[in-house]
Amino acid sequence: MSWRAAAGLRSWLLQRLSAVYIVAFLLALVFAWGGESVPFDTWRAWVAHPLVNVGLMLFLLALLSHAWVGARDVVMDYVKPVQLRYLVLIGIGLALAGLAIWSLRIVLLVGG
Amino acid sequence: MRFLIYRYDPDADKTPRMQAYELDGFEDGAMLLDALFRIKAQDETLSFRRSCGEGVCGSDAMNINGRNGLACITPLDSLKEPVEIRPVPGMPVIRDLIVDMEPFYHQYRAVKPWLTVHDPEPEAEFLQSPEQRDQLDGLYECILCGCCSTACPSFWWNPDKFRGPAALLQAWRFLADSRDQATGERLAELEGPYRLFRCHSIMNCVDVCPKGLNPTKAIGHIKQLMLKHLV
Repeated sequence: MSWRAAAGLRSWLLQRLSAVYIVAFLLALVFAWGGESVPFDTWRAWVAHPLVNVGLMLFLLALLSHAWVGARDVVMDYVKPVQLRYLVLIGIGLALAGLAIWSLRIVLLVGG
Repeated sequence: MRFLIYRYDPDADKTPRMQAYELDGFEDGAMLLDALFRIKAQDETLSFRRSCGEGVCGSDAMNINGRNGLACITPLDSLKEPVEIRPVPGMPVIRDLIVDMEPFYHQYRAVKPWLTVHDPEPEAEFLQSPEQRDQLDGLYECILCGCCSTACPSFWWNPDKFRGPAALLQAWRFLADSRDQATGERLAELEGPYRLFRCHSIMNCVDVCPKGLNPTKAIGHIKQLMLKHLV
């Protein structure tokens, strides 16, 4: 069996790994800023730091790919007609891809 | 005691109905199957499967007060009244509490539940160390009653594609067997988004198994082994 053939395992693994990263990033966020009310400029400067910037982009990608696997699973379980299924999957895929481009652009612009 | 029992004869009835029965004077420790025998003595049109009567054969799986179980090992005094009895969910009903188990057996057959050996067979017997034999505990005890698979939402939605907890428990039973030599073939057969990976760890299977087995754990082992084989 090769990675190419392992479609089921790949998405399962993606879901698990992205979940671990999401939890780790959120914990780091709470650890760094938990409970504080942060002024916009401080926040912006923090996000502009290259390490945070890359970390945040990875977080957004992890979140969106996690959402993709989950939403695809729900559609596979509940939407039976093949054409409708493809339509719904394309809709979700485009929406998530749009969100990815939009959010990554914002973070990139802050990182300058 | 009051009972509400699912009745349906596809040849005669347009829709299923729930029929009420009332019986008293049960001995201490009587099981639900004893009550069904007495109801059948009263109304012989009631149909259900049963054989050994002691939780070994797995014939009398049914949905008891919303939970799958074996009638023969379910004590009457553990049940809330009226006791609602239905066939196990998600399977085609043949009559009353009898369902067509073919979708379940089909998935069971598909995991090739037998030892596969490519080497020449030994002259005497296959040897296994006690530790290797221990790996099969919690797997070989399955009686194929179908309580788990018919309680599994993933199996309800995809009974034709998803193997289901019972078949996957047996898949792991042979993957975990030191004598089996078909690991690669077995793993390749389970790949794809449906056969194994429709399991979302809902764990209804673990909740209802009358033998206390854990298919979710077995499925986790299969996924880990698959990963190990890839890296």
